[in-house]
Amino acid sequence: MTFDWGIIWHYRAALADGVAMTVLLAVATMLIAIPGGIVLALMRLSPLRPVSAASACFVEFFRNIPLILLVYWAYYVMPVAIGIEFSAFTTGLAALSLNVSAYNAETFRAGIVSIRRGQGEAALALGMSQWQVMRQVVLPQAVRRVLPVLASTWVSLFKDTSLVSVIGVSELAYVSLQIRSQTFRILEMLTAMAAIYWLLGYPQAKLVDWIHRRYGVSE
Amino acid sequence: MNATVVLDYRDVRKNFGSFVALDGVSTRVHKGEVVCLIGPSGSGKSTLLRCTNGLEKLDGGTISLDGIALPDNETGMRDVRRRMGMVFQSFELFPHRTVIANVMMGPITVLRLSRHDARQRAEALLEKVGLSEKAESHPASLSGGQQQRVAIARALAMQPEVMLFDEPTSALDPETVGEVLNVMKRLADEGMTMVVVTHEMSFARRVANRVVVFERGAIVEEGPPSQIFDAPTVARTRDFLGHLGWHG
Repeated sequence: MTFDWGIIWHYRAALADGVAMTVLLAVATMLIAIPGGIVLALMRLSPLRPVSAASACFVEFFRNIPLILLVYWAYYVMPVAIGIEFSAFTTGLAALSLNVSAYNAETFRAGIVSIRRGQGEAALALGMSQWQVMRQVVLPQAVRRVLPVLASTWVSLFKDTSLVSVIGVSELAYVSLQIRSQTFRILEMLTAMAAIYWLLGYPQAKLVDWIHRRYGVSE
Repeated sequence: MNATVVLDYRDVRKNFGSFVALDGVSTRVHKGEVVCLIGPSGSGKSTLLRCTNGLEKLDGGTISLDGIALPDNETGMRDVRRRMGMVFQSFELFPHRTVIANVMMGPITVLRLSRHDARQRAEALLEKVGLSEKAESHPASLSGGQQQRVAIARALAMQPEVMLFDEPTSALDPETVGEVLNVMKRLADEGMTMVVVTHEMSFARRVANRVVVFERGAIVEEGPPSQIFDAPTVARTRDFLGHLGWHG
């Protein structure tokens, strides 16, 4: 059996585009899922039952179905249900955002709940509104506290973006698999794909470790 | 004392489940008066203080500030809270902000002061509590006594009509209790109206105009410190002070 590692160099432009798309997907997802998670967490903690129940249903639904199923579902069912067809990218982004928002909601909720009651009371005693208390005193502390968890979610998300290859979003996994089926260089392409994901993911994991050390314990 | 009544408590009641925390408390706080609430743990002193600025809701009776009953809605209560300063046992400084930012937060968010004006006010207050050099530090790097002095400055930044102190020295190391009590003493000398829940009997004796003794959610006895500490008329006051080792 002979190997042709040159194939990777030959397709470097396409692979680079794939990497760019993977990064774009992960960044865009987080940009949606962080505010999304905060809104869901605040809804969950609302004293209004219907609001809190709606958030709980959302979170438990999107957290507990497999992401790949969600991707397929968004691609095939959403156009029929809503009547509008989105690009594969938008669909993939939507599926990832729903999933990660649900996870982030739980993360932020845990963070908010972990802030001592006295902190909110001290802010209320100054005459602040509930919303000012949340925005200026509770949320900033909660976000700091959950930073390590958000960082871990980011690392998982970065790899999970590969799942949207099933609907033809041209990110790294899709591009690699396309090249594989055109060239039949299965082993080379799968190895290259693994190596690229690892090279991108490893520094991120190290960064997460650093964030854990830096922000893990506070007060 | 003929001064105006600032706080008027009438038959105040509060329950936590089946536990009666306040069982019909009536008393008054006059302008410029320092009132110390003493009594065993769980006797309702802190609860009365927390009811005063609406951190707890009443189950009966009324509390009035300047003759107007506390509103029972959150928006109305906000306007009342900005007129009262509260100091907590556990300081509750905001750890994510610097010392000066802690003091500036109320004036900026609630009173809508400009950053410049809020900073000037905060600097003056930090100087007053003797912590100007800690303005840019974070609360975690301060001692307990220093944190509590910042908390007092933070409450004063709202220029309140009355200050409420909820066991302000109970969480402190003994060597830092004095610096906090000194700040409070100076505040009293300046004529601030103060309600102080405390276990510091010597402070109550030295600074209070009136001492109110609580037991089981009710007032056992109230009067000037000379009466409470030297000639208590009620046996239970004598018992309580005796338990504390007070030989008045």
